[in-house]
Amino acid sequence: MGLALPTDPGLDARLRRRAAIEMRGLRKRYGEQEVLRGVTLTVERGEKIVLCGPSGSGKSTLIRCINGLERHDGGTIAVNGVDLDADGRGVQDVRREVGMVFQHFNLFPHMTILENCTFALRHALGLSVAKAAERAMHHLARVRIADQAGKYPAQLSGGQQQRVAIARALCMDPKIMLFDEPTSALDPEMVAEVLQVMEELAAQGMTMLCVTHEMGFARHVADRCVFLDHGEIVEQADAERFFAAPESERLRAFLNQMLH
Amino acid sequence: MSFDFALAWDSLPALLNGAWMTVLITASVMAVGAVLGFGMCLVRMSRNRVLAAIGAAYVAVFRGAPSIVLLYLVYAGLPQLSVVRETPLWILFASPLFCAILGLGLNHSAYVVEILRGGLSAVPPGPVEAALALGLSPRLVFLKVRLPIAVRYGLKAYQNEALIFLKSTVAVGAVTIADLTGAANEIFSMTYDPFTPLVTAGVMYWLLTNGLRLALETLDRRLNRHLAVGVPDRRPATARQADPGAALFRRLRRSPAKPAE
Repeated sequence: MGLALPTDPGLDARLRRRAAIEMRGLRKRYGEQEVLRGVTLTVERGEKIVLCGPSGSGKSTLIRCINGLERHDGGTIAVNGVDLDADGRGVQDVRREVGMVFQHFNLFPHMTILENCTFALRHALGLSVAKAAERAMHHLARVRIADQAGKYPAQLSGGQQQRVAIARALCMDPKIMLFDEPTSALDPEMVAEVLQVMEELAAQGMTMLCVTHEMGFARHVADRCVFLDHGEIVEQADAERFFAAPESERLRAFLNQMLH
Repeated sequence: MSFDFALAWDSLPALLNGAWMTVLITASVMAVGAVLGFGMCLVRMSRNRVLAAIGAAYVAVFRGAPSIVLLYLVYAGLPQLSVVRETPLWILFASPLFCAILGLGLNHSAYVVEILRGGLSAVPPGPVEAALALGLSPRLVFLKVRLPIAVRYGLKAYQNEALIFLKSTVAVGAVTIADLTGAANEIFSMTYDPFTPLVTAGVMYWLLTNGLRLALETLDRRLNRHLAVGVPDRRPATARQADPGAALFRRLRRSPAKPAE
Protein backbone atom coordinates (compact mmCIF):
# COMPACT_ATOMS: atom_id res chain seq x y z
CA MET A 1 0.00 0.00 0.00
CA GLY A 2 1.12 3.53 -0.71
CA LEU A 3 0.85 5.81 2.27
CA ALA A 4 0.55 4.37 5.73
CA LEU A 5 -1.82 6.39 7.88
CA PRO A 6 0.09 8.46 10.43
CA THR A 7 -0.37 7.19 13.92
CA ASP A 8 1.51 9.61 16.18
CA PRO A 9 -0.01 13.11 16.49
CA GLY A 10 3.27 14.92 15.73
CA LEU A 11 3.58 13.31 12.33
CA ASP A 12 -0.09 14.01 11.76
CA ALA A 13 0.43 17.73 12.35
CA ARG A 14 3.43 17.87 10.03
CA LEU A 15 1.50 16.06 7.29
CA ARG A 16 -1.42 18.42 7.71
CA ARG A 17 0.86 21.36 7.07
CA ARG A 18 2.20 19.84 3.89
CA ALA A 19 -0.97 18.34 2.52
CA ALA A 20 -2.73 20.00 -0.43
CA ILE A 21 -5.90 18.03 0.13
CA GLU A 22 -6.76 16.01 3.18
CA MET A 23 -9.89 13.92 3.32
CA ARG A 24 -10.84 11.87 6.35
CA GLY A 25 -13.72 9.44 6.55
CA LEU A 26 -15.54 11.22 3.74
CA ARG A 27 -19.16 10.14 3.35
CA LYS A 28 -21.78 11.07 0.80
CA ARG A 29 -25.20 9.62 0.13
CA TYR A 30 -27.87 10.27 -2.46
CA GLY A 31 -31.07 9.25 -0.69
CA GLU A 32 -30.76 5.57 0.14
CA GLN A 33 -27.61 5.05 -1.88
CA GLU A 34 -24.29 5.55 -0.17
CA VAL A 35 -21.80 6.76 -2.80
CA LEU A 36 -18.80 7.45 -0.58
CA ARG A 37 -18.32 5.22 2.43
CA GLY A 38 -15.60 6.72 4.52
CA VAL A 39 -12.83 7.74 2.11
CA THR A 40 -9.54 8.84 3.64
CA LEU A 41 -7.02 10.25 1.21
CA THR A 42 -4.20 12.76 1.51
CA VAL A 43 -2.80 14.55 -1.52
CA GLU A 44 0.51 16.21 -0.87
CA ARG A 45 1.73 19.39 -2.50
CA GLY A 46 3.00 18.70 -5.99
CA GLU A 47 1.67 15.17 -5.95
CA LYS A 48 -0.09 13.74 -9.00
CA ILE A 49 -2.75 11.19 -8.26
CA VAL A 50 -4.78 9.16 -10.72
CA LEU A 51 -8.12 7.99 -9.44
CA CYS A 52 -9.81 5.13 -11.21
CA GLY A 53 -12.55 2.65 -10.68
CA PRO A 54 -15.66 1.20 -12.29
CA SER A 55 -18.50 3.52 -13.23
CA GLY A 56 -20.60 4.35 -10.22
CA SER A 57 -17.71 3.80 -7.83
CA GLY A 58 -17.85 7.41 -6.59
CA LYS A 59 -14.78 8.90 -8.35
CA SER A 60 -16.56 11.93 -9.73
CA THR A 61 -18.48 12.50 -6.52
CA LEU A 62 -15.20 12.37 -4.61
CA ILE A 63 -13.50 15.10 -6.60
CA ARG A 64 -16.67 17.18 -6.79
CA CYS A 65 -16.75 17.19 -3.00
CA ILE A 66 -13.31 18.81 -2.94
CA ASN A 67 -14.53 22.09 -4.46
CA GLY A 68 -17.98 21.91 -2.96
CA LEU A 69 -19.94 21.09 -6.13
CA GLU A 70 -21.29 18.27 -3.97
CA ARG A 71 -21.76 18.64 -0.23
CA HIS A 72 -20.39 15.77 1.80
CA ASP A 73 -22.52 14.25 4.55
CA GLY A 74 -19.76 13.11 6.88
CA GLY A 75 -16.03 13.25 7.46
CA THR A 76 -13.75 16.21 6.82
CA ILE A 77 -12.03 17.85 3.84
CA ALA A 78 -9.29 20.41 4.17
CA VAL A 79 -7.81 22.06 1.08
CA ASN A 80 -4.52 23.89 1.67
CA GLY A 81 -5.50 24.07 5.31
CA VAL A 82 -8.96 25.53 4.66
CA ASP A 83 -11.70 23.37 6.11
CA LEU A 84 -14.70 22.74 3.92
CA ASP A 85 -17.54 21.89 6.23
CA ALA A 86 -20.71 20.12 5.25
CA ASP A 87 -22.90 23.23 5.33
CA GLY A 88 -20.76 24.92 2.68
CA ARG A 89 -18.63 27.37 4.66
CA GLY A 90 -15.16 27.85 3.25
CA VAL A 91 -16.30 26.82 -0.18
CA GLN A 92 -15.55 30.16 -1.86
CA ASP A 93 -12.00 30.18 -0.42
CA VAL A 94 -11.40 26.64 -1.57
CA ARG A 95 -12.67 27.32 -5.09
CA ARG A 96 -10.08 30.06 -5.52
CA GLU A 97 -7.34 27.51 -4.82
CA VAL A 98 -8.70 24.67 -6.91
CA GLY A 99 -9.16 24.54 -10.69
CA MET A 100 -11.46 22.00 -12.26
CA VAL A 101 -11.69 20.44 -15.71
CA PHE A 102 -14.85 18.55 -16.65
CA GLN A 103 -15.60 15.63 -18.92
CA HIS A 104 -17.85 17.74 -21.16
CA PHE A 105 -15.60 20.85 -21.13
CA ASN A 106 -18.48 23.05 -19.88
CA LEU A 107 -17.28 26.16 -21.66
CA PHE A 108 -19.70 29.10 -21.63
CA PRO A 109 -21.31 28.69 -25.06
CA HIS A 110 -22.31 32.34 -25.48
CA MET A 111 -18.83 33.73 -24.82
CA THR A 112 -15.77 33.72 -27.05
CA ILE A 113 -12.74 31.69 -26.06
CA LEU A 114 -11.07 34.81 -24.67
CA GLU A 115 -14.22 35.81 -22.75
CA ASN A 116 -14.44 32.30 -21.32
CA CYS A 117 -11.01 32.85 -19.82
CA THR A 118 -11.40 36.48 -18.73
CA PHE A 119 -14.88 36.07 -17.22
CA ALA A 120 -13.80 34.92 -13.76
CA LEU A 121 -10.69 37.12 -13.81
CA ARG A 122 -12.86 40.18 -14.23
CA HIS A 123 -15.80 39.25 -12.03
CA ALA A 124 -14.20 37.17 -9.28
CA LEU A 125 -10.77 38.81 -9.09
CA GLY A 126 -11.82 42.26 -10.33
CA LEU A 127 -9.06 42.60 -12.93
CA SER A 128 -9.34 45.27 -15.63
CA VAL A 129 -10.28 44.20 -19.15
CA ALA A 130 -6.73 44.67 -20.39
CA LYS A 131 -5.07 42.87 -17.46
CA ALA A 132 -7.54 39.99 -17.71
CA ALA A 133 -7.02 39.63 -21.46
CA GLU A 134 -3.25 39.66 -21.02
CA ARG A 135 -3.34 36.89 -18.45
CA ALA A 136 -5.87 34.89 -20.48
CA MET A 137 -3.76 35.11 -23.64
CA HIS A 138 -0.72 33.91 -21.69
CA HIS A 139 -2.53 30.75 -20.59
CA LEU A 140 -4.18 30.23 -23.98
CA ALA A 141 -0.70 30.33 -25.50
CA ARG A 142 0.41 27.82 -22.89
CA VAL A 143 -2.16 25.32 -24.21
CA ARG A 144 -1.35 26.38 -27.80
CA ILE A 145 -4.75 27.76 -28.70
CA ALA A 146 -4.14 31.53 -28.58
CA ASP A 147 -4.90 31.86 -32.30
CA GLN A 148 -8.51 30.79 -31.68
CA ALA A 149 -9.19 33.39 -28.97
CA GLY A 150 -11.87 35.21 -30.95
CA LYS A 151 -13.92 32.13 -31.80
CA TYR A 152 -16.86 30.59 -29.97
CA PRO A 153 -16.66 27.16 -28.31
CA ALA A 154 -18.97 25.56 -30.90
CA GLN A 155 -16.41 26.45 -33.57
CA LEU A 156 -13.67 24.36 -31.94
CA SER A 157 -13.03 20.63 -31.86
CA GLY A 158 -13.47 18.72 -28.63
CA GLY A 159 -9.74 18.57 -27.99
CA GLN A 160 -9.41 22.31 -28.53
CA GLN A 161 -12.38 23.01 -26.26
CA GLN A 162 -10.86 20.90 -23.51
CA ARG A 163 -7.54 22.74 -23.80
CA VAL A 164 -9.44 26.03 -23.50
CA ALA A 165 -11.15 24.64 -20.39
CA ILE A 166 -7.72 23.87 -18.92
CA ALA A 167 -6.50 27.39 -19.76
CA ARG A 168 -9.64 28.88 -18.22
CA ALA A 169 -8.92 27.07 -14.96
CA LEU A 170 -5.20 28.00 -15.04
CA CYS A 171 -6.05 31.69 -15.39
CA MET A 172 -7.12 31.71 -11.74
CA ASP A 173 -3.65 30.53 -10.66
CA PRO A 174 -4.94 27.46 -8.86
CA LYS A 175 -2.67 25.55 -6.49
CA ILE A 176 -4.48 22.31 -7.26
CA MET A 177 -6.10 21.01 -10.43
CA LEU A 178 -8.93 18.49 -10.49
CA PHE A 179 -9.65 16.58 -13.69
CA ASP A 180 -12.92 14.67 -14.02
CA GLU A 181 -12.46 12.24 -16.93
CA PRO A 182 -11.03 14.99 -19.15
CA THR A 183 -10.58 12.77 -22.21
CA SER A 184 -13.65 10.52 -21.99
CA ALA A 185 -15.83 12.66 -24.26
CA LEU A 186 -13.15 13.12 -26.93
CA ASP A 187 -12.73 11.42 -30.27
CA PRO A 188 -9.69 9.13 -30.03
CA GLU A 189 -7.46 11.32 -32.21
CA MET A 190 -7.94 14.26 -29.87
CA VAL A 191 -7.02 12.52 -26.63
CA ALA A 192 -3.29 12.96 -27.13
CA GLU A 193 -3.32 16.77 -27.42
CA VAL A 194 -5.18 17.08 -24.11
CA LEU A 195 -3.00 14.53 -22.32
CA GLN A 196 0.10 16.33 -23.53
CA VAL A 197 -1.08 19.59 -21.98
CA MET A 198 -1.82 17.75 -18.75
CA GLU A 199 1.64 16.16 -18.77
CA GLU A 200 3.27 19.55 -19.26
CA LEU A 201 1.27 20.86 -16.34
CA ALA A 202 2.43 17.95 -14.22
CA ALA A 203 6.05 18.58 -15.21
CA GLN A 204 5.69 22.17 -13.99
CA GLY A 205 4.88 20.88 -10.52
CA MET A 206 1.10 21.32 -10.34
CA THR A 207 -0.74 19.29 -7.72
CA MET A 208 -3.15 17.14 -9.71
CA LEU A 209 -5.97 14.78 -8.92
CA CYS A 210 -7.21 13.11 -12.09
CA VAL A 211 -10.09 10.77 -12.61
CA THR A 212 -9.01 8.99 -15.77
CA HIS A 213 -8.67 5.59 -17.35
CA GLU A 214 -5.73 6.63 -19.52
CA MET A 215 -3.16 4.11 -18.39
CA GLY A 216 -0.34 5.63 -20.39
CA PHE A 217 -0.91 8.93 -18.63
CA ALA A 218 -1.04 7.15 -15.26
CA ARG A 219 2.28 5.42 -15.96
CA HIS A 220 4.03 8.59 -17.14
CA VAL A 221 2.71 11.06 -14.67
CA ALA A 222 1.05 9.62 -11.60
CA ASP A 223 2.95 9.40 -8.32
CA ARG A 224 0.17 7.26 -7.02
CA CYS A 225 -2.82 5.43 -8.47
CA VAL A 226 -5.89 5.02 -6.32
CA PHE A 227 -8.57 2.42 -7.02
CA LEU A 228 -12.05 3.26 -5.82
CA ASP A 229 -14.88 0.74 -5.77
CA HIS A 230 -18.31 0.99 -4.15
CA GLY A 231 -17.35 4.23 -2.47
CA GLU A 232 -14.21 2.94 -0.78
CA ILE A 233 -10.52 3.05 -1.57
CA VAL A 234 -9.67 -0.56 -2.25
CA GLU A 235 -6.04 -0.22 -3.22
CA GLN A 236 -3.42 2.42 -3.87
CA ALA A 237 0.10 2.07 -5.20
CA ASP A 238 2.59 3.66 -7.55
CA ALA A 239 1.63 3.24 -11.20
CA GLU A 240 4.04 0.41 -11.95
CA ARG A 241 2.89 -1.82 -9.10
CA PHE A 242 -0.72 -0.75 -9.56
CA PHE A 243 -0.96 -2.09 -13.10
CA ALA A 244 1.61 -4.91 -12.97
CA ALA A 245 0.97 -6.41 -9.56
CA PRO A 246 -2.46 -5.51 -8.23
CA GLU A 247 -3.03 -7.04 -4.82
CA SER A 248 -6.80 -7.04 -4.51
CA GLU A 249 -9.13 -9.25 -6.47
CA ARG A 250 -11.41 -6.32 -7.29
CA LEU A 251 -8.61 -4.28 -8.89
CA ARG A 252 -7.41 -7.33 -10.85
CA ALA A 253 -10.94 -7.84 -12.19
CA PHE A 254 -11.24 -4.13 -13.07
CA LEU A 255 -7.89 -4.03 -14.88
CA ASN A 256 -8.81 -7.17 -16.79
CA GLN A 257 -11.99 -5.53 -18.01
CA MET A 258 -10.12 -2.38 -18.97
CA LEU A 259 -7.58 -4.28 -21.05
CA HIS A 260 -10.06 -6.43 -22.92
CA MET B 1 -67.57 45.60 -52.86
CA SER B 2 -64.36 47.16 -54.11
CA PHE B 3 -61.27 48.74 -52.66
CA ASP B 4 -61.59 52.54 -52.71
CA PHE B 5 -58.07 53.91 -53.10
CA ALA B 6 -59.16 57.51 -52.65
CA LEU B 7 -60.85 56.63 -49.33
CA ALA B 8 -57.80 54.63 -48.23
CA TRP B 9 -55.58 57.63 -48.96
CA ASP B 10 -57.90 60.03 -47.15
CA SER B 11 -58.16 57.78 -44.08
CA LEU B 12 -54.40 57.25 -43.81
CA PRO B 13 -53.81 59.96 -41.16
CA ALA B 14 -56.55 58.57 -38.90
CA LEU B 15 -55.33 54.99 -39.38
CA LEU B 16 -51.73 55.97 -38.73
CA ASN B 17 -52.84 57.65 -35.54
CA GLY B 18 -54.50 54.40 -34.50
CA ALA B 19 -51.44 52.40 -35.56
CA TRP B 20 -49.28 54.65 -33.41
CA MET B 21 -51.51 53.87 -30.41
CA THR B 22 -51.15 50.12 -31.18
CA VAL B 23 -47.35 50.47 -31.32
CA LEU B 24 -47.26 52.50 -28.11
CA ILE B 25 -49.36 49.94 -26.23
CA THR B 26 -47.41 47.00 -27.65
CA ALA B 27 -44.04 48.50 -26.69
CA SER B 28 -45.23 49.47 -23.20
CA VAL B 29 -46.75 46.05 -22.56
CA MET B 30 -43.55 44.34 -23.73
CA ALA B 31 -41.56 46.45 -21.26
CA VAL B 32 -44.04 45.73 -18.45
CA GLY B 33 -44.01 42.05 -19.43
CA ALA B 34 -40.21 41.87 -19.31
CA VAL B 35 -39.98 43.44 -15.84
CA LEU B 36 -43.02 41.73 -14.27
CA GLY B 37 -42.25 38.47 -16.07
CA PHE B 38 -38.66 38.35 -14.83
CA GLY B 39 -39.66 39.24 -11.27
CA MET B 40 -42.54 36.79 -11.12
CA CYS B 41 -40.39 34.08 -12.71
CA LEU B 42 -37.97 34.36 -9.79
CA VAL B 43 -40.95 34.17 -7.41
CA ARG B 44 -42.38 31.18 -9.33
CA MET B 45 -39.03 29.33 -9.15
CA SER B 46 -38.34 30.25 -5.53
CA ARG B 47 -37.35 27.46 -3.18
CA ASN B 48 -39.74 29.00 -0.68
CA ARG B 49 -42.97 27.06 -1.14
CA VAL B 50 -45.26 29.95 -0.30
CA LEU B 51 -43.56 32.21 -2.85
CA ALA B 52 -43.58 29.46 -5.48
CA ALA B 53 -47.31 28.94 -4.89
CA ILE B 54 -47.95 32.68 -5.29
CA GLY B 55 -46.00 32.59 -8.57
CA ALA B 56 -47.97 29.57 -9.79
CA ALA B 57 -51.26 31.27 -8.91
CA TYR B 58 -50.17 34.43 -10.74
CA VAL B 59 -49.51 32.43 -13.90
CA ALA B 60 -52.71 30.39 -13.55
CA VAL B 61 -54.90 33.48 -13.11
CA PHE B 62 -53.38 35.87 -15.63
CA ARG B 63 -52.63 33.32 -18.31
CA GLY B 64 -56.03 31.76 -17.84
CA ALA B 65 -58.11 34.94 -18.07
CA PRO B 66 -58.95 36.36 -21.52
CA SER B 67 -57.23 39.71 -21.94
CA ILE B 68 -60.53 41.47 -22.60
CA VAL B 69 -61.85 40.27 -19.22
CA LEU B 70 -58.68 41.55 -17.52
CA LEU B 71 -59.11 44.90 -19.26
CA TYR B 72 -62.70 45.24 -18.01
CA LEU B 73 -61.67 44.20 -14.52
CA VAL B 74 -58.85 46.73 -14.33
CA TYR B 75 -60.76 49.58 -15.98
CA ALA B 76 -64.27 49.07 -14.58
CA GLY B 77 -63.79 46.64 -11.71
CA LEU B 78 -60.90 48.04 -9.63
CA PRO B 79 -62.32 51.60 -9.38
CA GLN B 80 -65.24 50.03 -7.46
CA LEU B 81 -62.78 49.68 -4.58
CA SER B 82 -62.49 52.82 -2.49
CA VAL B 83 -58.72 52.29 -2.12
CA VAL B 84 -58.43 52.85 -5.82
CA ARG B 85 -61.06 55.55 -6.21
CA GLU B 86 -60.29 57.69 -3.19
CA THR B 87 -56.47 57.68 -3.20
CA PRO B 88 -53.84 59.04 -5.59
CA LEU B 89 -54.07 55.67 -7.36
CA TRP B 90 -57.15 57.11 -9.04
CA ILE B 91 -54.93 59.35 -11.16
CA LEU B 92 -53.54 56.20 -12.75
CA PHE B 93 -56.71 54.14 -12.92
CA ALA B 94 -58.74 56.96 -14.43
CA SER B 95 -56.54 56.72 -17.51
CA PRO B 96 -57.74 54.15 -20.05
CA LEU B 97 -54.21 53.90 -21.45
CA PHE B 98 -52.77 52.98 -18.04
CA CYS B 99 -55.51 50.38 -17.53
CA ALA B 100 -54.93 48.92 -20.98
CA ILE B 101 -51.17 48.59 -20.41
CA LEU B 102 -51.68 47.08 -16.96
CA GLY B 103 -54.40 44.65 -18.05
CA LEU B 104 -52.52 43.40 -21.11
CA GLY B 105 -49.22 43.50 -19.19
CA LEU B 106 -50.56 41.13 -16.53
CA ASN B 107 -51.66 38.70 -19.23
CA HIS B 108 -48.46 38.99 -21.31
CA SER B 109 -46.14 38.76 -18.27
CA ALA B 110 -47.73 35.46 -17.22
CA TYR B 111 -46.62 34.01 -20.57
CA VAL B 112 -43.17 35.54 -20.16
CA VAL B 113 -42.87 33.83 -16.75
CA GLU B 114 -43.45 30.43 -18.32
CA ILE B 115 -41.20 31.06 -21.34
CA LEU B 116 -38.34 32.21 -19.11
CA ARG B 117 -38.92 29.37 -16.65
CA GLY B 118 -38.74 26.88 -19.52
CA GLY B 119 -35.50 28.46 -20.70
CA LEU B 120 -33.96 28.45 -17.23
CA SER B 121 -34.84 24.79 -16.64
CA ALA B 122 -33.32 23.86 -19.98
CA VAL B 123 -29.90 25.38 -19.23
CA PRO B 124 -27.50 22.44 -18.82
CA PRO B 125 -25.84 22.20 -15.40
CA GLY B 126 -22.33 22.02 -16.88
CA PRO B 127 -21.52 25.70 -17.60
CA VAL B 128 -23.16 26.72 -14.32
CA GLU B 129 -20.99 24.29 -12.37
CA ALA B 130 -17.91 25.43 -14.25
CA ALA B 131 -18.62 29.04 -13.27
CA LEU B 132 -19.18 28.09 -9.63
CA ALA B 133 -15.96 26.08 -9.64
CA LEU B 134 -14.11 29.22 -10.78
CA GLY B 135 -15.16 30.86 -7.53
CA LEU B 136 -17.87 33.17 -8.92
CA SER B 137 -20.74 34.02 -6.61
CA PRO B 138 -24.04 32.19 -7.25
CA ARG B 139 -25.77 35.53 -8.00
CA LEU B 140 -23.21 36.39 -10.67
CA VAL B 141 -23.38 32.89 -12.12
CA PHE B 142 -27.15 33.28 -12.44
CA LEU B 143 -26.98 36.72 -14.06
CA LYS B 144 -24.03 36.13 -16.38
CA VAL B 145 -24.26 32.44 -17.29
CA ARG B 146 -27.62 30.86 -16.56
CA LEU B 147 -29.89 33.78 -17.47
CA PRO B 148 -28.18 34.71 -20.78
CA ILE B 149 -28.32 31.09 -21.93
CA ALA B 150 -31.97 30.79 -20.82
CA VAL B 151 -32.93 33.98 -22.70
CA ARG B 152 -31.41 32.54 -25.85
CA TYR B 153 -33.40 29.33 -25.40
CA GLY B 154 -36.61 31.24 -24.76
CA LEU B 155 -36.35 33.79 -27.54
CA LYS B 156 -38.14 31.76 -30.22
CA ALA B 157 -41.07 30.98 -27.93
CA TYR B 158 -41.14 34.64 -26.92
CA GLN B 159 -41.31 35.70 -30.56
CA ASN B 160 -44.47 33.63 -30.96
CA GLU B 161 -46.03 35.12 -27.87
CA ALA B 162 -45.10 38.68 -28.87
CA LEU B 163 -46.71 38.34 -32.32
CA ILE B 164 -49.91 36.81 -30.93
CA PHE B 165 -50.08 39.47 -28.26
CA LEU B 166 -49.53 42.35 -30.71
CA LYS B 167 -52.68 41.28 -32.52
CA SER B 168 -54.57 40.80 -29.27
CA THR B 169 -54.10 44.50 -28.51
CA VAL B 170 -57.34 45.04 -30.49
CA ALA B 171 -59.04 44.29 -27.15
CA VAL B 172 -58.12 47.79 -25.90
CA GLY B 173 -61.19 49.05 -27.77
CA ALA B 174 -63.11 47.70 -24.77
CA VAL B 175 -61.64 50.45 -22.58
CA THR B 176 -62.39 53.26 -25.04
CA ILE B 177 -58.93 53.46 -26.62
CA ALA B 178 -58.87 54.17 -30.36
CA ASP B 179 -56.16 51.86 -31.68
CA LEU B 180 -55.67 50.78 -35.29
CA THR B 181 -58.79 48.59 -35.33
CA GLY B 182 -60.75 51.31 -33.56
CA ALA B 183 -59.74 53.86 -36.17
CA ALA B 184 -60.72 51.49 -38.99
CA ASN B 185 -64.11 50.85 -37.38
CA GLU B 186 -64.67 54.57 -37.00
CA ILE B 187 -64.10 55.11 -40.71
CA PHE B 188 -66.36 52.14 -41.50
CA SER B 189 -69.23 53.63 -39.48
CA MET B 190 -68.79 57.03 -41.13
CA THR B 191 -68.56 55.77 -44.73
CA TYR B 192 -70.47 52.46 -44.62
CA ASP B 193 -67.51 50.98 -46.50
CA PRO B 194 -66.26 48.06 -44.36
CA PHE B 195 -63.83 46.79 -46.93
CA THR B 196 -61.40 49.66 -47.58
CA PRO B 197 -60.53 50.77 -44.00
CA LEU B 198 -60.32 47.22 -42.62
CA VAL B 199 -58.13 45.95 -45.46
CA THR B 200 -55.86 48.99 -45.04
CA ALA B 201 -55.70 48.34 -41.31
CA GLY B 202 -55.02 44.67 -42.03
CA VAL B 203 -52.04 45.63 -44.20
CA MET B 204 -50.75 47.86 -41.39
CA TYR B 205 -51.09 45.01 -38.87
CA TRP B 206 -49.19 42.79 -41.28
CA LEU B 207 -46.40 45.38 -41.50
CA LEU B 208 -46.31 45.76 -37.71
CA THR B 209 -46.20 42.03 -36.94
CA ASN B 210 -43.55 41.40 -39.56
CA GLY B 211 -41.51 44.38 -38.42
CA LEU B 212 -41.59 42.95 -34.91
CA ARG B 213 -40.75 39.51 -36.24
CA LEU B 214 -37.73 40.81 -38.15
CA ALA B 215 -36.54 42.76 -35.11
CA LEU B 216 -36.79 39.69 -32.87
CA GLU B 217 -35.13 37.49 -35.49
CA THR B 218 -32.27 39.96 -35.76
CA LEU B 219 -31.88 39.91 -32.00
CA ASP B 220 -32.00 36.10 -32.06
CA ARG B 221 -29.33 35.92 -34.76
CA ARG B 222 -27.16 38.38 -32.89
CA LEU B 223 -27.46 36.58 -29.54
CA ASN B 224 -26.99 33.16 -31.12
CA ARG B 225 -24.12 34.11 -33.43
CA HIS B 226 -22.04 31.53 -31.55
CA LEU B 227 -24.25 28.89 -33.19
CA ALA B 228 -24.36 30.47 -36.67
CA VAL B 229 -25.04 28.10 -39.56
CA GLY B 230 -21.84 29.05 -41.35
CA VAL B 231 -19.81 27.83 -38.41
CA PRO B 232 -18.36 24.38 -39.13
CA ASP B 233 -19.48 21.85 -36.55
CA ARG B 234 -16.29 20.25 -35.34
CA ARG B 235 -17.55 18.96 -32.04
CA PRO B 236 -17.11 15.23 -31.45
CA ALA B 237 -19.68 13.02 -33.12
CA THR B 238 -21.20 12.20 -29.73
CA ALA B 239 -22.08 15.84 -29.14
CA ARG B 240 -23.63 16.41 -32.54
CA GLN B 241 -27.32 15.96 -33.08
CA ALA B 242 -28.24 13.62 -35.85
CA ASP B 243 -30.32 15.09 -38.62
CA PRO B 244 -33.25 12.66 -38.79
CA GLY B 245 -34.40 14.04 -42.14
CA ALA B 246 -31.05 13.43 -43.81
CA ALA B 247 -30.80 9.93 -42.34
CA LEU B 248 -34.24 9.07 -43.67
CA PHE B 249 -33.32 10.48 -47.06
CA ARG B 250 -30.15 8.36 -47.22
CA ARG B 251 -32.05 5.25 -46.19
CA LEU B 252 -34.70 5.83 -48.82
CA ARG B 253 -32.05 6.30 -51.47
CA ARG B 254 -30.38 3.03 -50.53
CA SER B 255 -33.64 1.07 -50.69
CA PRO B 256 -36.18 3.04 -52.70
CA ALA B 257 -39.80 2.25 -52.01
CA LYS B 258 -41.32 -0.03 -54.58
CA PRO B 259 -43.60 1.77 -57.00
CA ALA B 260 -47.24 0.83 -56.63
CA GLU B 261 -48.38 -1.61 -59.25
